[in-house]
Order: sequence, then structure tokens, then C-alpha cells
Amino acid sequence: MASSIPVKEKKLMEVKVGELPGWILMRDFTPKGIAGAFQRGYYRYYNKYINVKEGGVAGISMVLVAYVLFNYCHSYKELTHERLHKYH
Amino acid sequence: MNENLFASFAAPSMMGLPIVVLIVMFPSVLFPTPSRLINNRLISIQQWLIQLTSKQMLAIHNQKGQTWALMLMSLILFISSTNLLGLLPHSFTPTTQLSMNLGMAIPLWAGTVITGFRYKTKASLAHFLPQGTPLPLIPMLVVIETISLLIQPMALAVRLTANITAGHLLIHLIGGATLALINISATTAFITFIILILLTILEFAVALIQAYVFTLLVSLYLHDNT
Repeated sequence: MASSIPVKEKKLMEVKVGELPGWILMRDFTPKGIAGAFQRGYYRYYNKYINVKEGGVAGISMVLVAYVLFNYCHSYKELTHERLHKYH
Repeated sequence: MNENLFASFAAPSMMGLPIVVLIVMFPSVLFPTPSRLINNRLISIQQWLIQLTSKQMLAIHNQKGQTWALMLMSLILFISSTNLLGLLPHSFTPTTQLSMNLGMAIPLWAGTVITGFRYKTKASLAHFLPQGTPLPLIPMLVVIETISLLIQPMALAVRLTANITAGHLLIHLIGGATLALINISATTAFITFIILILLTILEFAVALIQAYVFTLLVSLYLHDNT
């Protein structure tokens, strides 16, 4: 498929499905790249929800809900023992 | 049931990697650094709280003691945020681990004692003997004061651990009892649920109070020694 912009520099939403494996392989997986990705993600969330003039409780409560869900997923295995079933 | 009760206090690890490090570092995400004169609401609220607490806490110290301001404020911030986050469902509270609380208490207490011995040696040693003791009692009293000094870090750590662990255990137990009682008798389950609500309110208070007490005691030990 002909695309005028090289695959490497496109954002994810503009990459066609067929080009996806190539796009993923071209991402920067060095530690510096991964740290950069985390930093970009953090600032994207921070500037959208918290660093605004009229930020509400939603910004920080989304973080807390994500934390709760993360811990739930992590302790899922122990929690299956506490279900109300006859045979575990 | 026995194993389930204490399983939530085990240090979490994912595929062998200790993610407890991530969980300990998580509260720092909730306290962004202020970069401007007028910041966003979250930072403004936190700044106001920190100012309130620091004025209260540092009022009793002299110039030398006030160099500890950063340490004390970050201590109270860390302990209160970790305790409050531990009240969320399924979360892991690092302050329930005795190892962590000892790691906080012993260096801080040792710092205050060593500061006292370095700069005011005679006064620090004089703390071992309260004023006006009758002569025959002196040897025994020195021994007792030494023991009470050496037990301070242990007491700091164990107090924090025991309070938070006990609170979490109670919540687990009463929550389990409420669930088990629903099928048997709805009114008893309702009463137990009310107890659970009250307990949760208590735990919020305990979370904050324990942080305060820990920091206050460290600052008192500091005050004695500066």
C-alpha cells in the first residue's frame, strides 16, 4: 500500500492495519525510549485533567480507580477462593 | 480462612518481580511539583495543607531543629498518603510491614540522638537522670532511662505497624461477617454493616493520626536533642 509519509513517523491512529506490525517494530524499545513513553503518557494525562484552570475531582479519582483495578487484577487469584460457591 | 486473612498483607510480587517498589512509589504520583506561582487546584490544596501542618509542627523548634523541616514534612506526607491509599479496596499498604516502619523509625531516631550527642553532649547525657531524684535511686533510674531511650525506635515502628494492621484486619473480619450474615439474618447483617461504616470512618482518622503521631514524636525527640 502506497503511503506518502514513512510509516515510522505516523501516529498510531493514522497507521493502516496492514502496516501495524512494521510500525510496532520500529518503535523505540530502549530503556530511554520506554521512559520517554511513560513520561509522555504522564504529561498527557496530567495536562488534560489536572493542570487545568477548573480541574475537578475527576482527575485524581480516575487515577485512584485505576489503582484499585490494578490491585484487584493482581489479587484476583486469592479472591476466587472467597466466592460464594459450593466447590472451589 | 486463616491464610486468606493474612494474604492481603503479603508483599505483592508479579511473576517474581517485587512490584511493592511500584506501590511504595505510587503516592508520589499524587503530589505533583508546583512549577508556577499560581498552580492548579490539586497543587494549591496540597500547598495549603502542607503550610498549615508545617507551621504547626515546626513552631516548637529552634533554628537548628528547623533544618529538619523537609524531613518531617515529607515523613508526615508519606505516612498519611500511604495509610489513606491503603483504605482503598484490595490495595496493599506498605506501612503494615514492620520492616518498612523500622526502616523509617530507626534512622530518624538515631539521627536525633546522634545530633544531641554531637552538639550538646552534656545535656543529652543529662537526660538520663530526671531532676530531683533521691540519691539511692540514681543507678536504677539511669538504667531505666537508658532502656526507655533505646526502646523509642521500636515503639515508633511497632505502634504504626500494629495500628494500621489491626485496623485493616478488623475491616476484613467485620466485612466478612456482614457478608456471611446476610443469608442468616438481615437485621444482624445491617447492624454489622453499620459497625463497618463506623469502623471505616475510624480508620480514616487513624490513618491520619498515626502519621501525625509518628512525626510528632520524631520532632519531640529532635527537640530534646537540639
